Amino acid sequence: MNRAGFLALLPLIVLAATIVVVMLSIAWRRRHGLTLALTLAGLALGFASLWIAAPLAPCQVTPLLVLDRYSLFFFGLFFTSEFAIALLAYDYLRRHEVPREEFYLLSLLATLGAAVLAASSHFASFFLGLETMSISLYALIAYLRPRPRPLEAGVKYLVLAAASAAFLLFGIALIYAALGTLDFRRIAPALAAPSVPPAYLAAGFVLLLAGIGFKLALVPFHLWTPDVYEGAPAPVAAWIATLSKGSIFALLLRFLYSSRLLAGPAAHRLLLVLSLIAFLSMILGNLLALLQSNVKRILAYSSIAHMGYLLVPVLAGLRPAHRSLAVEAVAFYLVAYFLTTLGAFGVIGVLSTAQSDAGRIEDFQGLFWRRPLLAGIFAVMLFSLAGIPATAGFMGKYYLVAAGASAAAWALIVVLVVTSVIGLFYYLRIVAALFAPLAPAPSPRLSPASGLVLGALLVGLIWLGVFPEPMIRLIHALAIR
Amino acid sequence: MNEFAFYVAAAIAVLSTALVITRRNAVQALLYLALSLIAVAVVFYGYGAPFIAALEVIVYAGSIVVLFIFVVMMLNLGRRAAQAEARLLPPRIWIGPAVLAAVLLFEIVYLLARGPRLPVAAAAIPPRAVALALYGPYLLGVELASLLLLSALIGAYHLGWRRQPFPEVRDAPPESPAGLDSGRDSVRAGSRRSAGAA
Repeated sequence: MNRAGFLALLPLIVLAATIVVVMLSIAWRRRHGLTLALTLAGLALGFASLWIAAPLAPCQVTPLLVLDRYSLFFFGLFFTSEFAIALLAYDYLRRHEVPREEFYLLSLLATLGAAVLAASSHFASFFLGLETMSISLYALIAYLRPRPRPLEAGVKYLVLAAASAAFLLFGIALIYAALGTLDFRRIAPALAAPSVPPAYLAAGFVLLLAGIGFKLALVPFHLWTPDVYEGAPAPVAAWIATLSKGSIFALLLRFLYSSRLLAGPAAHRLLLVLSLIAFLSMILGNLLALLQSNVKRILAYSSIAHMGYLLVPVLAGLRPAHRSLAVEAVAFYLVAYFLTTLGAFGVIGVLSTAQSDAGRIEDFQGLFWRRPLLAGIFAVMLFSLAGIPATAGFMGKYYLVAAGASAAAWALIVVLVVTSVIGLFYYLRIVAALFAPLAPAPSPRLSPASGLVLGALLVGLIWLGVFPEPMIRLIHALAIR
Repeated sequence: MNEFAFYVAAAIAVLSTALVITRRNAVQALLYLALSLIAVAVVFYGYGAPFIAALEVIVYAGSIVVLFIFVVMMLNLGRRAAQAEARLLPPRIWIGPAVLAAVLLFEIVYLLARGPRLPVAAAAIPPRAVALALYGPYLLGVELASLLLLSALIGAYHLGWRRQPFPEVRDAPPESPAGLDSGRDSVRAGSRRSAGAA
């Protein structure tokens, strides 16, 4: 690793240094505000160091990590989201009688894992990044230990994530046995060799997909999602919904496009499996969300559907001609989805009390008449999730349909549009509750930190919906090598 | 490694792993876990990777599992430690793992006596090659693994936190009629932490 490699790695190094500094400061003195300030400063420094790393991109640092514009873009997205979540968590944690400082430490470690995932070009860094993220999440989900629900959700996530990691490792082992390489970009040349056993390759890919599908909560692997979303503290649920899924998706896209595994011998059946997962996720995610009465569970099922939507451009981009549009569509949709989901869980966090998280629809009943600003922000977030024009969610869906149409994936597009319309119903049900004429309980005040974050998210959401050109120009330069 | 030796070691690994999951007794399950890891080490040895085999035994079977067993047994500290140990390790607990471990011992003695004869496809991997890989192309992997362990450590530390500080060591509590009350005199980690600055 030379000097250029160090400079290219600077965002990750700054993040790792932040973790050490925060840990030492906690060991020295437990101050909630100090820990938050150090966390935010470290994230801001990491974000600033993106400009040092950007001129060096693309830069391969050891076989494990590749620092190109694609990974730097996701670094920026993850750092910003973690910044917002840390601010939202500050208010949330102040209401709870637990040691609060470790939250920032664990979420920074998880962010590091997510960033490593976005930059991985090798199965070893993929697995290490994934596990760093998962292990931090086990503790984060169960963070409010005195409460039974988070603990239950944490144990559930622990058991299922460990099992899915076993599937993933076995899949990686099979692919290694078939091809003799762990490097994503060496897979394509290895596939050309005549002695590749297709059965190993297909089995390995399906197992890999099971592991990734679990993390993304795609349909046959989605059962943990509603329970974990409901049980986890609101900022942690926001973390799982955004960074955890976004990082895995960034990795999946890079893996599929740089390995060209789906152009190999067993490609046809694998493509079918992936399409089936996309169909099922879109349909079941939306239909099951209709049956829920808890807002956190609705958001959980809707996240399943959104990950299904995101598979549409991935499938469309498997042909190299449509690749750049697919990468753009995924990047834009993820930005929109991050903004929206952070906002929605942010509002839930603000409304939560020391006894329980806000979740039941009754908690939101008539919110508009008590806290018009908060209710307005929540409504816009839900509109964006539903894909209503003038929000970022609409532009994102537009991008998905454009990417799908360019590859003539009509069946996927039809399902996407139809299920989006179904989705409208359950989002509007929550919006209707917000404006219902009932006002039973006083709700917590919006603190300056949360207000700032929610306001910024709202502005970003509408800005992306009305005036998306700058963001489009930014993601236009992304390409997977 | 001939086929037979591989299948014996692999069968023991699979069998003991299945027993880890199905045994209700924690100590017995952990003994089987140690056995399963040792069986995998034998497979590694047979395939010309003696260094990885040694690491497997030292790191997994040696330290991690022994630590598990110690923790499980040491939760019964105090005056009744000897009694607890006798209760935790009657012959029917250790006889199964011991028999399987004996089979593995015979196998490794056989492999050692036969001398290093590698299968055609495999080449011996000396420690030097492992070290060069770890501190060459996989340097970042080593660093990432250290952060992974850090997150596990912090997570365990936080989850071990309790609201009430655990009472200081008291004089012997009255004997409970229902046998060992291991919850009362166990050592709990992280019990002296304040609830953070308000």
